[in-house]
Amino acid sequence: MAALTPGSTGLRRALVPLGYPCPVPSDLLLEVQGLSKAYDGVHALEGVGLQIRPGEVHGLVGENGAGKSTLIKILAGNVVPDSGSVGMAGAGLNLGSVQASLDAGISVIYQELVAFLDLDAVENVFVGREIRRFGIILDRARMRERTSQVFQRLGVGVPLNVPLCDLSVAQRQLVAIARALETECRLLVMDEPTASLSNREVEVLLATVERLKTEGVSVLYVSHRLDEIVRICDSVTVLRDGRVVETMPASSVTRERLIVSMVGRQIAAQSQSAANAPGTVVLEVRGLGRDGAFEDVSFSVRAGEIVGLGGLVGAGRTEVARAIFGLDRIDSGQVLVGGRDVTNRGVLAAVASGVALVPEDRQHEGLVLPLSVKDNLLMAARERLARRGWIQRRAERTKGDELSTRLMVKAASLDVPVRSLSGGNQQKVVIGKWLAMAPRALIMDEPTRGVDVGAKEEVHSLVTRLAAEGAAVLLVSSDLPELLELSDRILVMCEGRVSGELARGEASEEALMALAVHREERAVS
Amino acid sequence: MKAFLGRFRQEAVLLVLLAAFVAVAWRLDPTFLTPKVQGTLVKLVLELAVIALPVTLIVITGGIDLSVGASMSLAAVAFGLAAERGTPWPLAAVCALVAGALAGMLNGWIVSRARIHPLIVTLATMSAYFGLAEGISRARPISGFDPAFQSLVAGPLMFFVLALAAAGAALWLSRTVKGQAVFAIGLNEKAARFSAIDVDKIKFWLYTLAGTAAAVAAVSYAARRNTVKADIGHGMELDVVTAIVLGGTSITGGRGTIGGSLLGILIVHEVRQFVSWHWERDEINLIVIGGLLILALVANSAFGKKTDSA
Amino acid sequence: MKKLPARELGVGLVLFVLVLAVQLANPAFLRPENVRDLLIQCAPFAIMACGMTFVIILGEIDISVGSMAGLLAAALGTWASPSHGGRPLLDCVFGVLFLGLALGLVNGLLVVFARVPSIVATLGMLTVLRGVTELVLHGEWVTDLPPFIRQLGIGVSGGVPNPVLVALLVVAVSITLASLTPWGRRVYAIGSNPEAAKVRGLPVKQVKLAAFALMGLLTGVAVLVSAPQLSVVESGYGTGWELFVVTCVVVGGVSITGGRGSLWGVLLGVALLSIIRTALIFLRLGDQASYWERAIQGVLILTAVLGDRVSARRRAEVGA
Repeated sequence: MAALTPGSTGLRRALVPLGYPCPVPSDLLLEVQGLSKAYDGVHALEGVGLQIRPGEVHGLVGENGAGKSTLIKILAGNVVPDSGSVGMAGAGLNLGSVQASLDAGISVIYQELVAFLDLDAVENVFVGREIRRFGIILDRARMRERTSQVFQRLGVGVPLNVPLCDLSVAQRQLVAIARALETECRLLVMDEPTASLSNREVEVLLATVERLKTEGVSVLYVSHRLDEIVRICDSVTVLRDGRVVETMPASSVTRERLIVSMVGRQIAAQSQSAANAPGTVVLEVRGLGRDGAFEDVSFSVRAGEIVGLGGLVGAGRTEVARAIFGLDRIDSGQVLVGGRDVTNRGVLAAVASGVALVPEDRQHEGLVLPLSVKDNLLMAARERLARRGWIQRRAERTKGDELSTRLMVKAASLDVPVRSLSGGNQQKVVIGKWLAMAPRALIMDEPTRGVDVGAKEEVHSLVTRLAAEGAAVLLVSSDLPELLELSDRILVMCEGRVSGELARGEASEEALMALAVHREERAVS
Repeated sequence: MKAFLGRFRQEAVLLVLLAAFVAVAWRLDPTFLTPKVQGTLVKLVLELAVIALPVTLIVITGGIDLSVGASMSLAAVAFGLAAERGTPWPLAAVCALVAGALAGMLNGWIVSRARIHPLIVTLATMSAYFGLAEGISRARPISGFDPAFQSLVAGPLMFFVLALAAAGAALWLSRTVKGQAVFAIGLNEKAARFSAIDVDKIKFWLYTLAGTAAAVAAVSYAARRNTVKADIGHGMELDVVTAIVLGGTSITGGRGTIGGSLLGILIVHEVRQFVSWHWERDEINLIVIGGLLILALVANSAFGKKTDSA
Repeated sequence: MKKLPARELGVGLVLFVLVLAVQLANPAFLRPENVRDLLIQCAPFAIMACGMTFVIILGEIDISVGSMAGLLAAALGTWASPSHGGRPLLDCVFGVLFLGLALGLVNGLLVVFARVPSIVATLGMLTVLRGVTELVLHGEWVTDLPPFIRQLGIGVSGGVPNPVLVALLVVAVSITLASLTPWGRRVYAIGSNPEAAKVRGLPVKQVKLAAFALMGLLTGVAVLVSAPQLSVVESGYGTGWELFVVTCVVVGGVSITGGRGSLWGVLLGVALLSIIRTALIFLRLGDQASYWERAIQGVLILTAVLGDRVSARRRAEVGA
């Protein structure tokens, strides 16, 4: 049963644990063993094992950052694990090669669709491995026929001759599925396939998955929507902090049990005993809406208060943060800072009125990587330290030293490129950039994502200290313990709306998750 | 500090290149190095250098301005037509400056507002400005300007203007908040916007400045040659871009110096003048300049890759 | 693919109105011999625009084609003229085609392997090739093109002028290439989403290289039917063609950022631009016409790009 390995691989096998061909029992399609992967010393996956039978729909759930996407990327061949093995249909999978994964019959449909919007469905299905006549001419008729066959098989109708940009997101998703099926895939990995679908579209997709199952195709179904998982999966694996918590058969799966299992850990002792005495309202948002992103969002943050903004990825939290900061156009509602209206006035006006944003994407939006630590620290505050626009070197150096000491930035010197710093220290520089301005309202979007444990604690104490000093903090985070520990109260967003507010006393991970998940699901449960 | 070291290294390399070229030129043709010949060469180089200053800044932001030659033509024609109608020369010079500034403003406005790639924008406006210059002047030469104007502007004045502008630009770039922002924009425009740097405003004014500088060059040209025509700026953009890239400014933005560009200009110009002087063949010049540009670009992209991985 | 010809329709409408207006102003405009001249005139540009369409859909650009045409014309002249090379017809034809292909490949290599942005790389080539042309011709004119060469440009086959015939052929092949071959669809795919193309393992480098080579080859074809229309070849031949061709392609609805556009639209663009050229003469603007032509070209390209931008924004919103 074990795949016969050529001599060279045999040698490699002795030296390297990667691509280790493991014996797979014949009744398993996929067998993952001991998969580990660390980024900058932080474990994304640790000894993960997973087994999928042919024709099984296997659910994979976990909080944001639990390691789901790393696992998917390893299966797709985009990421090489540090150790562990993957067996596919009785043969060892050569890890780290997209082609090998495809050849083994693994197709991945990513959350952000990798589609050619200017091409039609048929072309999207076949581009790169076209059917030809006489070697050069496209056999459009046959490709069309095969595409429509796939769609028939799926029991859906998708226009074949329309560029994808004119199709709905759901239809594009179906095209991606069709493409996967055309490559004779045996394991289809779907990453949050329903994240941007309407209810009816979700039904079509779920029916499609059911149909695939009857055809013997296995599906690894990754979703936050627990009701979907409960409904269509044969078994479910729960990941938490890069480890498998448990794998349970469908019969024992319930929504409640999944939530408990996902959240699992002891809720961290709340370090901050008393909420700060709230001051005056600094940041106020009234009925904020941006078409296609969020609607009717209202809240206020007082001086000295930390308000958490929870919810799932894609709930619209980052979009709200961007809009308040003046980056995106607001279609309705108002943003008031200290009573002044800064709606749609742009970033400069927002910053001038005292708003600061620590963005989600540190490397692309927060920092200019090749520039020095000092240049990055002072990027926003320079104007204030300067005299009529001329840089005051001594003042800058003093300020830079002061900031880096205060933030405990670990860098060889302030003149090294910020690129050379660790993730946690880079994040401190991004925060420091705004500290130099003494912001009145500080918006932080995932401030500790990809930051190691030590630096995380430092960032947390920094946030508390800033609030104690009188800043109004809006904390967007998918890290539930972090949100619960730091926030005085938590607003939860779901599908572009605020679905509820939890005061410090009543906030728990379960309560938060319940507000964050799909609204229809809540209605049902 | 590290930026300083890098800057001087770049300029040292260029100086060595220039010296090597001069040595070879001297071996081939000693007459080329006489003060008289070199003196005239330097005069020719002034106009190119004036334009190169703002364009260097634009390239550092990650942009490019291909319309500077056309803006120069437009400004020159504006000057010529005004002077022809008896306008006193200072006023005519103002006309030229306004024309150049407006041309630059249109570029800046489209680039920063509509966010279309500056290459396409300035390629189109290059055509539009040349066409406009040809149209309003009917492509005829206009000559015979005030002798006082000629002796004043064509004299050392232009040299002082350049020296002042170059020093100003270099200082601005390294010592002001906006100057430092130029690098940030070129390296990561998104992060610059997230840091409340007014990217659009800076771009707008840099393109306006480039148009204005082209007009200054046009006035200088008019004084030096006592004649203007709609095609005087033809090919200027290429010389300027070649010199800038040769001077170590990254064509994709984020890296570059004023000193490097000036040395680049000097090298481009010495080479091209030597070619015309020694072989008396202008066509070789085109090959040399284009070849230099391509070589500089290839070297630039190879060098850029190296620093990225470091 | 051809579902949303809004842009093409727009260009077609403008074209129609323009033709109508010029015809009303000057009834001589649509006389058969004038239409024939017009077709012969725009044939080489149609040929080059086909090549440029692929390059621009890929998200690249080639602005060296004007000088390339100049050099190829000079090569054709010196090879063919009895006082210089005196080569036979086939030598000349294949020589020009091969040289065009080689020059296109050089552009492609610079862009793909040296990773120089195509606009500046081809800008350098624009200058170099013009210099080489002048070097080849020594500033002289080739005046003794042999009749068999001149036939390429002024001859008629089966009632159709040779340039028009060749252009029709090239257009037909290009349209086939664009819509009926894997290569053509990959061009669209790569231009549409370069990242996805990489993820899907499409041969991005090879496709780009081939597009630049094709551009060179088609420039050769264009020169073969256009240079012999005149009795002399001089070193300024082809000056400004690059901008004209790019304008045609962009006005014809090809997105300058790649991915979108059709050859049908480009053909309309070629027709529109060529007619504007002639119309300026027919509207009796006299020598004014040639002065303003460049300005009009520039304004047109700006308008087209701005329009493209607006529609791209609308599209992005629909997609989001």
